[in-house]
Amino acid sequence: MDLPKEIELLFRENLPLAKKIAKEIERLTPLVLRKTGLEKIKIMNFCGSHEWTTTHYGIRAVLPPEIELIPGPGCPVCVTPSSDIENLINLAMEGYRIYVFGDGFKLPTVNHYKTGQISSLSHARALGADVRIVYSFADAIEDVKKDGKKSIFFGMGFETTAPSYAVLFATQKIPKNLMFYSSIKLTAPAAEYAVQVHKEKKRVPVSGVIGPGHVSTIIGAMSWDFFPEKYGIPAVVSGFEPIDVLTGVMIILKNLYTGNITFTDLEYIRVAKREGNLFAKAKINDVFDVVDAIWRGIGTIPKSGLDLNDKFKEYNARLLVNEKPWDYDLPPGCRCNEVTLGLAYPTDCPLFMKACTPARPWGPCMVSMEGACAVWARFGSSERVLSIVKEVR
Amino acid sequence: MCWAVPAKVVSIDSDVIATVDLGQNTLKKVAIGVDNLKVGDYVMVHAGVIIAKLSKEEVMENVKFIEEQIREVAEMIGEDPNEAIKDFEKSVYSILSDEK
Repeated sequence: MDLPKEIELLFRENLPLAKKIAKEIERLTPLVLRKTGLEKIKIMNFCGSHEWTTTHYGIRAVLPPEIELIPGPGCPVCVTPSSDIENLINLAMEGYRIYVFGDGFKLPTVNHYKTGQISSLSHARALGADVRIVYSFADAIEDVKKDGKKSIFFGMGFETTAPSYAVLFATQKIPKNLMFYSSIKLTAPAAEYAVQVHKEKKRVPVSGVIGPGHVSTIIGAMSWDFFPEKYGIPAVVSGFEPIDVLTGVMIILKNLYTGNITFTDLEYIRVAKREGNLFAKAKINDVFDVVDAIWRGIGTIPKSGLDLNDKFKEYNARLLVNEKPWDYDLPPGCRCNEVTLGLAYPTDCPLFMKACTPARPWGPCMVSMEGACAVWARFGSSERVLSIVKEVR
Repeated sequence: MCWAVPAKVVSIDSDVIATVDLGQNTLKKVAIGVDNLKVGDYVMVHAGVIIAKLSKEEVMENVKFIEEQIREVAEMIGEDPNEAIKDFEKSVYSILSDEK
């Protein structure tokens, strides 16, 4: 049996273990409530993939009602500002070839609803622009070598995609006709921002954070230590199988009960390390500078993005455009900003599954497979979830 | 875009590019984002870059970590931790042995 199959059996299909952990969570919950005086234990998962696992496997339904799992701003597609897509549409219409991931291709701009405006890169392609979907930056490099056309790669993503750009830039083998438009976001400042918003808006405070597993593979679980150290909030870096997420919840409850909240727990030991991927981090530091970045629907979060440093400025496609300050960039009626901050569930949005569906997304959280709205649309009440919940209970 | 998939390294094509098998012989050229990569290594691939290596030892370490958590929680709620672990071992190792 190969390793991926073993992992699947251990962490995904292990029903007796899921039952065991769910039972321990159920028994710990009243103890934690009594000890902390909280009425509800609100746990924020940062990552879009955690939201996928949580919803797909019906994890909310196997937890006691006092535990609330809320999605956080962890979908890079959802938080890519409209201005970035508008800039790339303009460059595409000027004759540049644009390489983009599939999710970025469909992402609507704030002009989505205005007649006569180009509403996405897919719309630009329909109008004759050269926009190509690629699987990776490496694929774009291979493709661009076939001719000399001036091209731009739309570099979206979090710290997980950053190494794929950084290792290739660091080797200095990027063709001269391929520029790079960085829309890379850093996760920790946004997670901190989301937790603070709950405080400011006098909502039930966030009592625990499930940190992103693959981002932490790069930046290290220790990057989340500011939650326990500065805010007294337990943080755990979990993997993406249902057992991983359930274990994450159990660890947060355990820490809340003991009050022993000193550093980030690492559940996803099989992939991530406390110090992260030092090789990838070094390459990222060689190639990128930390900059202020715009998060869609939210605005500018200081030091929450990466842009190519001066050494690579001949490749920097951002220098081709006039950067404008953030302006509210969601289409009318869309509540994606509240969804990404965990202030609203997708079903709270009046457009959800009415004007906004996975087939015709109105707002950004409905585009990517990991956007909270798209996840809820696909799996929120499926028969499969209900049958899994029944089995675990 | 946080999604990563396990894969096996089939060849190392240059100092920065490797070919991986994503399963069922689906081969893909990806950037190398880790140190000391070898043919045959299991890796996690995210958006065209290898972000981590995986090993059987690390998987078992993960299992032991969960076991430790269950033990601590059982102690906390006044249960026999050894009994709790017995259940755990049964659920983990029966799966592995059934399949082998």
